Amino acid sequence: MYAFDIKRPRSVEEAVAALADGEAQALGGGQTLIPTLRQRLADPGTLVSLSGIAELKYVRMEGDVLRIGGGTTHAQVAREAAAHYPALASLAGRIGDPAVRNRGTIGGSLANNDPSACYPAGALGSNATVVTGAREIAADDFFQGLFETALDEGEIVTEVRFPVPEAARYEKFIQPASRFALVAVFVARFAGGVRVAVTGASESGVFRWAEAEAALAADFTPEVVRGLTVQAEGMIGDLHGSAEYRAHLVGVITRRAVEGALA
Amino acid sequence: MSVGRPIPHDAAVLHVTGTARYVDDIPAPHDTLHLCFGLSDTACGEIVAMDLAAVRSAPGVVAVLAAEDLPNSADTSPSAHDEPLLATGRVHHMGQPLFLAIANSHLAARKAVRRASVEIREEPAILSIDDALAADSRFEEGPRFYRKGDANRAIAAAPHRLEGRIEIGGQEHFYLEGQAALALPQEGGDMVVHTSSQHPTEIQHKVADALGLPMAAVRVEVRRMGGGFGGKESQANALAVACAVAARVTGRPCRMRYDRDDDMVITGKRHDFRIDYRAGYDDDGRIRGIEFRQFARCGWSQDLSLPVADRAMLHADNAYLLDDVTIESHRLKTNTQSATAFRGFGGPQGMVGIERVMDEIAHALGCDPVKVRRANYYADAAPGDAAPAPAPLDDGRDAPADTHADLTSRGTTETRGQPAPPPSGAQTTPYHMAVEDFVLGEMTERLVESADYRGRREQVRAWNAGNEILKRGLALTPVKFGISFTLTHLNQAGALVHVYQDGSVHLNHGGTEMGQGLFRKVSQVAAHRFGVPLERIRITATDTGKVPNTSATAASSGSDLNGMAVKAACDTIRDRIARLIAERHQARAADVRFGGDRVHVGGESYGWEEAVRLAYENRVSLSATGFYKTPKLEWDRIAGRGRPFFYFAQGVAATEVVIDTLTGENRILRTDILHDCGASLNPAVDMGQIEGGFVQGAGWLTTEELVWTDKGRLATHAPSTYKIPACSDRPRVSNVSLWDGRNREDTIYRSKAVGEPPLMLAISVLMALSDACAACGPHYPALDAPATPERVLAAVRRAREGAR
Repeated sequence: MYAFDIKRPRSVEEAVAALADGEAQALGGGQTLIPTLRQRLADPGTLVSLSGIAELKYVRMEGDVLRIGGGTTHAQVAREAAAHYPALASLAGRIGDPAVRNRGTIGGSLANNDPSACYPAGALGSNATVVTGAREIAADDFFQGLFETALDEGEIVTEVRFPVPEAARYEKFIQPASRFALVAVFVARFAGGVRVAVTGASESGVFRWAEAEAALAADFTPEVVRGLTVQAEGMIGDLHGSAEYRAHLVGVITRRAVEGALA
Repeated sequence: MSVGRPIPHDAAVLHVTGTARYVDDIPAPHDTLHLCFGLSDTACGEIVAMDLAAVRSAPGVVAVLAAEDLPNSADTSPSAHDEPLLATGRVHHMGQPLFLAIANSHLAARKAVRRASVEIREEPAILSIDDALAADSRFEEGPRFYRKGDANRAIAAAPHRLEGRIEIGGQEHFYLEGQAALALPQEGGDMVVHTSSQHPTEIQHKVADALGLPMAAVRVEVRRMGGGFGGKESQANALAVACAVAARVTGRPCRMRYDRDDDMVITGKRHDFRIDYRAGYDDDGRIRGIEFRQFARCGWSQDLSLPVADRAMLHADNAYLLDDVTIESHRLKTNTQSATAFRGFGGPQGMVGIERVMDEIAHALGCDPVKVRRANYYADAAPGDAAPAPAPLDDGRDAPADTHADLTSRGTTETRGQPAPPPSGAQTTPYHMAVEDFVLGEMTERLVESADYRGRREQVRAWNAGNEILKRGLALTPVKFGISFTLTHLNQAGALVHVYQDGSVHLNHGGTEMGQGLFRKVSQVAAHRFGVPLERIRITATDTGKVPNTSATAASSGSDLNGMAVKAACDTIRDRIARLIAERHQARAADVRFGGDRVHVGGESYGWEEAVRLAYENRVSLSATGFYKTPKLEWDRIAGRGRPFFYFAQGVAATEVVIDTLTGENRILRTDILHDCGASLNPAVDMGQIEGGFVQGAGWLTTEELVWTDKGRLATHAPSTYKIPACSDRPRVSNVSLWDGRNREDTIYRSKAVGEPPLMLAISVLMALSDACAACGPHYPALDAPATPERVLAAVRRAREGAR
């Protein structure tokens, strides 16, 4: 780890000010960033810890939208979203292990956009809106490839707004050693259509499977996905699985997610 | 009576309370230094330049050593002296130690090595079996052959034929305690080394060689290891030698432990194998003739690869009588970690080969695999048949003269004279050893009943007929594992027993404790010989200063060899006490009995403490050594003829699995095991070995996948990428029973070795997965190991569509 300074702002305003320095980097729960620092893959100069900002930690329903503060841990979402959006709570409750869930935050996970992370699938599959101090970004615009998002330098995820679907399910096929998603799929059915978001599989990060969405919009049953295939090209092929295997799993896991959503 | 009781492990309380002391827990003097290797980032090439100035100037660094800085050329090989402690001119695998940083703290040493500037001119690396075959890169001059009958002719004449190939992955040992050593320099240049090693005498030899000292100037102590599994037979040498050399150079105590990632990248693993087979068989599935070609990926140095590959050949028959058979073995040299000993020592790979053939024959004939296996079994020995006593051993054999030769290592390749032929008419193995103690016929019958194999075969069939997605599989596989070091002279052991004036007993022997319960078993033997409670027996650390010239605690031989040596030592002291007591009562020494913490003669008895006090006062020596050598062994490893094994340990397992045919995910649902420990010394310890061995074997054949990049970098170098079984991966239903039998050979209380054999019970998992895959279609699935979900899915496809 390279030496760095740390700042602990108490409000979003203070955090934004602290991040105005170009060398500074926001620190959420640190579940990705701290290991990255330890590997000396990042040298931020200053870390601005968001963990002391009480106003970023909440889960609440407003109308038919579930609002989650950017600094809310996965454990808190798993507990408090269960009554409002069970599929999302279930996703949060299956991230990593208890230590990760009690530290890691939704804002941190989305801002990092790891290609194997769970939350990007939940946000994209739910058609969530990512709110920052400056603007609101639709999930479809937010995720821009491997570890890339629409966020500008110093921009903080303050809130994520989830429309609550009629039915949804997050289904995850884990790599047994790391327990990261080898392929995972979030399926959500809304009055106006179906969204299918896939994580873990693609070389360009989380993506929507348009073909499955169209088929499921017409008939929300696992069977309609059966004939559909995803191209192996562009899928991740690594020590844990070939691109062909991942492409195959996308179909299987999507069907499982639809079955789960119907259960 | 302490023998035969299910008494807990002697250190169980220490283990669970965290007070068991391992090498890295030993309090060291305040000026102790810490070591770390700088590693090669290239698999094959020439070291063009190595600038270590920045390492030397790093905070906390006291000294930095490269190969040319060593006082003697330090070698860490257990066999061919082809493993320099630090690379000399060339690198042979990614992760090979290049230099050694010696610093004030573990962290300082680790940080310092990163500062090195090393330039290596990279050359094309030989990584795979195919690479090695193309380059003819191998150990020994060519393949080894064992032959019996005429396989080629028998195959040609058989009614049916098949041929195929199985690829079998390697395995990381994943001992919970990583490699560690501590060297304490003594006056006059002597050295004391604490090491986490299964082979203290080898450490002593290698350290003495590296320091230019006689072995008598080096003392090595091992209290316990946190798991060994073969990974600490030769792989512990580098740390101990590094510590000793650094202690010599600096004059200060030195300690070293590998970080887990370094441990996985530096140390050798189980050999991965490719086995090609060609078999001819009849309508009953009986093999008429068979040929195996075994290809072992040995890594960069010879290490223990020759005896490992030998043992793979020696288990190519497993439980099956093969009349016309050829086994061909290629030991391939590659630019990867030096593959080494691992529980089973090649035996498991050889056994998987023939079990695959049994599975494929049953599939081809459409008959039950148990029937095919039974048709090929050796015949059971007659019940109650005790083996004849051994002929006296000829001790006049010449010993090898090379003083550098590592005589106590399994890597030594000395051969002995002409073994006697087996008795005529005997059923023999492919290496011409008579099989006289086979019991798997009866054991299999028993397990078929107790596990309700036939009923469950029907249930599995019914389930599979009614379920499209989840398919079940069931398999029953036997294990017949040869017990003894195949290097005959290693089958010896020593013990040292002291009885103190207060009646307490200090017990020492050449075996090491790695969690397997050896010390417990041996202490039971000692308590039994003296007729005293276990509490009187003090178990002490293995120490080359107490018992010299020990063999590695390996080849499952620990209890067999050391139990007998301890028995001999105890009996010497016991007989002395008996003579004294007998004299006082005008009785015969043979009539003096030891039991119930008392010494009995005629109608009278003495308390143990009183008897000991009397012996001391009458100037009777209460200290003795014991020695044992296994009888009946004669083996010519080049010819593949003789009797390499004293006896066979046997077992049989029936495992049921379920697979998801959409993803290849799989689970073990139930396992039934019947295992032969002879007359068990300690059923609790033996059950632990059986359960642990099975789970470790299941890990090897299912989730544990080693992956190297195309540059030769081990990509799976931590638990985040390499999956060993956890508690939740064990079979939910597990019925383990011990076969109620006695060893027909005269072993310690007629028990049988149990360390390695149970690992191979897990072959039933691989075959059950194959059975489940075969339920998906008409073709043979040809499932390779490890059977990861992706491989299972591919096998399901092959079952449906045939091989592509």
